[in-house]
Amino acid sequence: MRRTVLSATALACTAVLASTTPALADSPSPVPAATVAPSESSAPADATEPSPVPAEDDAPDRSTAPGEVAVVPSGAPDTGVASAESGADGALIGGSAAAVLTAGGAAVLLVRRRRATTA
Amino acid sequence: MTSLSRRAFAAAATAALLGGCGGGHGNGRSTAGRPGSTTPSARPSAEPVRVLARSVPVGLEIPAIGVDTPVIRLGLAPDRTVQVPPVTAHDRAGWYRHSPTPGQIGPSVILGHVTVGRHGDGVFRHLARLRPGDGIVARLENGTAAVFAVDSVRTVAKADFPTDAVYGDVGRPELRLITCGGPRTGDEYRDNVIVFARA
Repeated sequence: MRRTVLSATALACTAVLASTTPALADSPSPVPAATVAPSESSAPADATEPSPVPAEDDAPDRSTAPGEVAVVPSGAPDTGVASAESGADGALIGGSAAAVLTAGGAAVLLVRRRRATTA
Repeated sequence: MTSLSRRAFAAAATAALLGGCGGGHGNGRSTAGRPGSTTPSARPSAEPVRVLARSVPVGLEIPAIGVDTPVIRLGLAPDRTVQVPPVTAHDRAGWYRHSPTPGQIGPSVILGHVTVGRHGDGVFRHLARLRPGDGIVARLENGTAAVFAVDSVRTVAKADFPTDAVYGDVGRPELRLITCGGPRTGDEYRDNVIVFARA
């Protein structure tokens, strides 16, 4: 009986380790890779294009300005692209929890089955 | 039999509890320091304000949240919304070039991302942590600098973006820092975080 209890505990601990390790390893470092060198001259393909207009071109805009801001934009700026990793994190956490619960259930069944066969 | 089953259930429950804690730890960054409420204005302005010569901003420093970034120039997108900086690693802030340069009379508008997709945090990730009185320095192309102090920090729904408060005439040198904030739906944030600062 003691061996059965120990085996069930060992199985549960294994499930914990198997499920938590990926989650901890996924603890993201929000700092981008140091190998990516910032560049002033080149923009990536998925980038929204910044304005390449030189400073001199700003003057005409100001001269025609009806107010302190020459041209008032419409709408709200979209200054945040949510990380796709956040969804992956959620899926990983959910998957880990499900794996733990499944392992726990399996342990219970194993114990019961062994108990039934030995009784 | 009953005792054995109880032990097995206890082991399974402990495993589930530990697993849940591990997952929560891994996702901790998403809740870091995100005040969602509006911080009211609290800073009076009695002293005379020095108006600087026109010179475009080339750098921005916000010591309270560890920001020291180059500043690029932004214009209008084809749909008449304001352009935003490129979504890259080491993203930068961008000055809306149809607004006054920092230190000139009017609201100078600088935008930055809160997050940049797979690259992680954006340059304005912690903008909502600013508090009234925090200092902001805009380095200008002519070698001078415009110094501002945070007046208020507002989190507003994008659907109710306060265009007049952000771009309207103010009669003195002011600064607006804009990023996204609030809850996310898919890849988008619901709100904008806007910092109002005065020289």
